[in-house]
Amino acid sequence: MTLDIEAIRADFPILARTLPNGKRLVYFDNAATSQKPQCVIDAMSEYYEHYNSNAHRANHTLADEATTALEGARNRISSYFGTSPDQMIYTSGATEAINLAAYAWARENLSEGDVVVLTEMEHHADIVPWQQMSIDKGIEVRYVPIDTESFTLDMNAFEVAIEGASLVCVVHTSNVLGVRNPIEKIIEMSHATGARVLIDCAQGAPHERIDFDSLGADFVAISAHKMAGPTGIGCLLVRVDAMAEMGPFMTGGSMIKRVSTEGSTFQEGHAMFETGTPRLAEAIGWGAAVEWLDQFDMSEVHEHINDIASWTASRMREIPGIRIYGDPEREDSSGAVSFLHEDIQSQDLALLLDEGGFAVRTGHHCAQPLMDALGVPSTNRASFWIYNTMGEAESFVQYLKEIIDRFA
Amino acid sequence: MVGSRRWPEHLDAVVEEFQACFDAMERYELLFSYAKRHPSPLPQEEWDDDNQVHGCQSRAHVICSVDENGGFLLRGGADAQIVQGLMAVTAIAVNGMGPADVAGMEPDYAEEMGIRSSLTPSRANGFLNMFKRVTEEAALLL
Repeated sequence: MTLDIEAIRADFPILARTLPNGKRLVYFDNAATSQKPQCVIDAMSEYYEHYNSNAHRANHTLADEATTALEGARNRISSYFGTSPDQMIYTSGATEAINLAAYAWARENLSEGDVVVLTEMEHHADIVPWQQMSIDKGIEVRYVPIDTESFTLDMNAFEVAIEGASLVCVVHTSNVLGVRNPIEKIIEMSHATGARVLIDCAQGAPHERIDFDSLGADFVAISAHKMAGPTGIGCLLVRVDAMAEMGPFMTGGSMIKRVSTEGSTFQEGHAMFETGTPRLAEAIGWGAAVEWLDQFDMSEVHEHINDIASWTASRMREIPGIRIYGDPEREDSSGAVSFLHEDIQSQDLALLLDEGGFAVRTGHHCAQPLMDALGVPSTNRASFWIYNTMGEAESFVQYLKEIIDRFA
Repeated sequence: MVGSRRWPEHLDAVVEEFQACFDAMERYELLFSYAKRHPSPLPQEEWDDDNQVHGCQSRAHVICSVDENGGFLLRGGADAQIVQGLMAVTAIAVNGMGPADVAGMEPDYAEEMGIRSSLTPSRANGFLNMFKRVTEEAALLL
């Protein structure tokens, strides 16, 4: 099957809009969030229009329908990620998923002097919770550096860092560099030392099929909104044996068995960690998103995105003054192209690109330790996804050249 | 101040210069040119944590004081030329004014100039954070 990009684009009403200045939107900020297909928008609207109700614990039709839809979405999503529903905990996104691993697993199982290994490539969501855990529990946090020439993890340093570690947390794909880390090798090496492994798949899941059970990681964090789903929903996939080691994180309604004035007992499995009213519309929308994505061969999707990113980066390298951070031409890179121009400051460049209709992101991308390693305060980042076209990339490079000719 | 507009009359010529631009890109070119003609620039050697405008995506620094005639003096610098240009226009507006008038100013001149991106509510917006800092410091100088 070959991707029919025009048919795919037709599923996304937002791609047809124009900006206030009359320019047609070219959306290259997909690593921040993807756009949503009509079926996701419809699924969420249908929930609110026809069966809005709180899930569980009610004996009326709407509650039954809402509960069925919520759990149906869990079945669909967990199946998409190659695992069973009992290994999936709904969260608000990857950030909450990693915080859940920190507060429900690490707080219960780690103590002073235990080691958590991170990398310089991590998003703040996979740094700050561990720094806080270091303050609270006295754990040691080690950082694996990146090689700033190849923009890859220093695997020799990694091998040293994981010695004696209790937990290894690595980003599947860098949101800045687009680099896809050798996570299979990382999981194998880490498990060989006895460490548990958390993989931040916020950027990886939109680009390749994550098969949790065969991947073998103990924890995987995912956000829906970067893979056609709505904002405010995601999950932590947890191996059953790791979940058995977790204690309650957020407490309150839904996660209890029995509450009395003497104390409380808690549900088991994922129900212990899904406190309060579930994000029903969001979960249902995410279910629709994975159903939509499931029609595609993700290796074809990756190839399409990589073709655009690779072509764009290679043309941008020909523009005097442009420096690219990462290696988008590599076959396993995602669709992120981070860059700077030596004369035009990144925020200026983003605003000038916006005037042409091109939405790119600017800033430290919530990865300041990586920015420090690269020796820059920020970058511009164009990031591509399934609905982008080579024609858009060509117009982007042409417009970028015009801006540089005019403003540099 | 002019009519309902809350900027000094001597800024009208600058606002009109921007309004006469053919399109947004021409306005940005003009703004880049104002960035190079800042009337009271703050050299990068003087940028420090105390004078940094926080909340900006770009680096922006301002020092506000009163000159020997009692007029407000805004010295500023930014690494983004668009922020630096808006800072230059702001300095043209406020330098020499009484601190009370500066404290009561609104940033509508940027909108009148047609710099659409200057007034977005994004928390990364450099200009609005810079403008807020200037008016707050003017109030402290009263």
